[in-house]
Amino acid sequence: MEELDGEPIVTLIPGVDSKKQMCFDWGPGELLVCETSFHKKGKSETVPGCPFIYIVRKDVDVYSHILRKLFNESHGIFVGLQRIEELTGKSRKAQLVRVSKNYRSVIRACMEEMHQAAIAAKDSTSSRQFSSQVSILSAMELIWNLCEILFIEVAPAGPLLLLLLDWVRLHVCEVDSILADVLGSENPSKHESFWDSPGNTQTLTELELKWQHWHEECERHLQDGTFVSSPHLESLCKIMLGDEAALLEQKNLLSNWYHFLVTRLLYSHPTVKPIDLHFYAQSSLDLFLGAKSRPEPLDNILMAAFEFDIHQVIKECSIAFSNWWFVAHLTDLLDHCKLLQSHNLYFGSNMREFLLLEYASGLFSHHSLWQLGVDYFDYCPELGRVSLELHIERIPLSTEQKALKVLRICEQRQMTEQVRSICKILAMKAVRNNRLGSALSWSIRAKDAAFATLVSDRFLMDYCERGCFSDLDLIDNLGPAMMLSDRLTFLGKYREFHRLYGDKRFVDAASLLLSLMTSQIAPRSFWMTLLTDALPLLEQKQVIFSAEQTYELLRCLEDLTSGRPEQGEPDQQLQDDDIEATKVEMLRLSLARNLARAIIKEGSLEGS
Amino acid sequence: MVSVINTVDTSHEDMIHDAQMDYYGTRLATCSSDRSVKIFDVRNGGQILIADLRGHEGPVWQVAWAHPMYGNILASCSYDRKVIIWKEENGTWEKTHEHTGHDSSVNSVCWAPHDYGLILACGSSDGAISLLTYTGEGQWDVKKINNAHTIGCNAVSWAPAVVPGSLIDQPSGQKPNYIKKFASGGCDNLIKLWKEEEDGQWKEEQKLEAHSDWVRDVAWAPSIGLPTSTIASCSQDGRVFVWTCDDASSNTWSPKLLHKFNDVVWHVSWSITANILAVSGGDNKVTLWKESVDGQWVCISDVNKGQGSVSASVTEGQQNEQ
Repeated sequence: MEELDGEPIVTLIPGVDSKKQMCFDWGPGELLVCETSFHKKGKSETVPGCPFIYIVRKDVDVYSHILRKLFNESHGIFVGLQRIEELTGKSRKAQLVRVSKNYRSVIRACMEEMHQAAIAAKDSTSSRQFSSQVSILSAMELIWNLCEILFIEVAPAGPLLLLLLDWVRLHVCEVDSILADVLGSENPSKHESFWDSPGNTQTLTELELKWQHWHEECERHLQDGTFVSSPHLESLCKIMLGDEAALLEQKNLLSNWYHFLVTRLLYSHPTVKPIDLHFYAQSSLDLFLGAKSRPEPLDNILMAAFEFDIHQVIKECSIAFSNWWFVAHLTDLLDHCKLLQSHNLYFGSNMREFLLLEYASGLFSHHSLWQLGVDYFDYCPELGRVSLELHIERIPLSTEQKALKVLRICEQRQMTEQVRSICKILAMKAVRNNRLGSALSWSIRAKDAAFATLVSDRFLMDYCERGCFSDLDLIDNLGPAMMLSDRLTFLGKYREFHRLYGDKRFVDAASLLLSLMTSQIAPRSFWMTLLTDALPLLEQKQVIFSAEQTYELLRCLEDLTSGRPEQGEPDQQLQDDDIEATKVEMLRLSLARNLARAIIKEGSLEGS
Repeated sequence: MVSVINTVDTSHEDMIHDAQMDYYGTRLATCSSDRSVKIFDVRNGGQILIADLRGHEGPVWQVAWAHPMYGNILASCSYDRKVIIWKEENGTWEKTHEHTGHDSSVNSVCWAPHDYGLILACGSSDGAISLLTYTGEGQWDVKKINNAHTIGCNAVSWAPAVVPGSLIDQPSGQKPNYIKKFASGGCDNLIKLWKEEEDGQWKEEQKLEAHSDWVRDVAWAPSIGLPTSTIASCSQDGRVFVWTCDDASSNTWSPKLLHKFNDVVWHVSWSITANILAVSGGDNKVTLWKESVDGQWVCISDVNKGQGSVSASVTEGQQNEQ
């Protein structure tokens, strides 16, 4: 069981009086802290408190403009890696190496941009900040490159050194300049041109033979005292024999211990095997640093890599870097290389998933990078879905566009709870702003029957007050969504009635109107309105309602008037009663007249 | 790397007792002994005072934001025995309801999960807990649990909504039957779990005993999709317990001691994604804890008061980022 190394990180909040306490609470992506006193007293404190609230976050790098490019482009590589068809054997290895190189080129591009920003910076503080970011990115690329060589390419003895030479050359500029000097200078003796060898493509056997030859020749020359007259040439010879002391004398040309290591290996063990690497690495580090200096975090990370301790590399990098980007992506890639055994972790059984979750959560603090986070959660089989559910609901729905984007993401993943919740928020906001059409379409999208009923009622109330419908387009084109709630169905059908009437299709309109009451779809509170709507149809020259239908209407009227419970205030009721009574009388009259005409019409030879 | 990204100057004239972010992290509400409740817009690292709400006649102890589907609604409770509910209507904040049913200081307010409707639980030093339910048209229904805790109730916290059975086949228009529960902590050293019965009355379902002094705070952890329920409690006795119940039906809660501090522990709070517990102590620190694979709680971070001139680091770009 892994122990959590080191003490927990302490973050200091400035300005808070040491005699007081701190109260806090969580926001969706941050921690709020402020000074307070928990002893609750009735009267105020004699010493006024600090009026500041501190908002504390742990993923501030998401806000960096230049790093954003890194996040965006690496996201593309990440998703590509999850989706590519797995090849086998050598092609698989080549595939993974390609992905690794892609990641590295993205880091380098970001580094370059950061470097340009540092040069162009207007003040020294920002310039320094940019420059320090450049060094961090450079360290990242250095580590990633080494991991690529040792873990992904898995270079066997021989080629390993060549790759390490390339690695050192890429990251240590001085080597290049020395090579240039040596190449350019006149070489009177054959063996000095051996400096040309870094980078040459030679087979392992050729290299070993050549090396053996040179090594023996150099040793012979040294012992014969050929260079006694020239200390410079003598030390050069010693270097080529891999004499550590001689190499160390040229320390100023070697920028760091891993440069020393590779140089040393070049001259003493050019066919070094991967498993022996860490012996030389450790001793190179010790020799180079000497007694006084202590290794820095970067040294420890590289050392762990030379020891092929992947978990240690990841652990050290997690501590050293300020954001999860590096460890999340590298670990994921190494997992694809099948290099991570299931490792007992403190906060989750799967290291890859743990790191990806941490990285993705951080992205959600950003107003647009959160979209990248969604994909990362998708590829976390254990806790990805539930993490996404929790985070996505907290995205501020500042524009309709954003809301639609969020909803699409939820709908694609069948996150019905979240869809319902988000649509409800938008629907209620629309209702409060009296945008009933918008409210209705949100409740339909949420498949929220109860809310659809509520909004339909509002529409109907609106109609009663104003005599016309708002948002006709929406109601006319409800389609199957109409079935969501009875009230909504009624609203749709009622509007249809109005359309039929407008098109002068009176018979159809009449049948529809009647059916709305007889099928019980219409709420009783609306029946009076419907019956009143029937009046113009009853008063037409032609007979529209058949006798049968008129009997039905009469029955509905009776139903309505007889079963009416006592409602409203006593005074109001008298007034209402008056109006109601008049209406009812009018209806009764109209219906009676229509009945008479209908009977006559149906009874006579012309009618049918 | 943790850093202070924004500092909001509330200009409160007296001690601040609570600060709460709204659901989306765009607004900040604060309350103080100066009797006011203030609301700030804190988007993009800025601070704009939106409202300065007056209405309480004593120090205001807590504020709580309701779920955004109900609009912009904030509740506050105070030493003046009142609970006030504030609402934003047409761009201005106003008092929309005042609850005066308690005989002494109201210490804690907490909104129920939005699935239940708009319900507010309030805990008071008179030992009672009241539940305010919005019934429409500006009306609030009140249910009171008298003598919930002897001497006084210090904290209330709702359980996350758990829907029994499937939500998919609900008949049109019908609301699913939620089992509403909340936890309270009081001066009787107990944590009590309350459940709503079918008749709408609240009944004490369980007592959780482990503290030897007043329980100062309880916090029910958000749900992460597992059947386990988790509650954190802290007390005058310096102990913080994490209580877990593996199965909703079995109802056996087991406490685990998170840590024993040297002083009173006043406040505990779960992060939104439920994996980190923040604990404040009398020793002037806020510590962050996370559960390890083997069930042990480990301190992962320490937020401490600064001693003078330590300056907060601000990463480039984020002040002027949109």
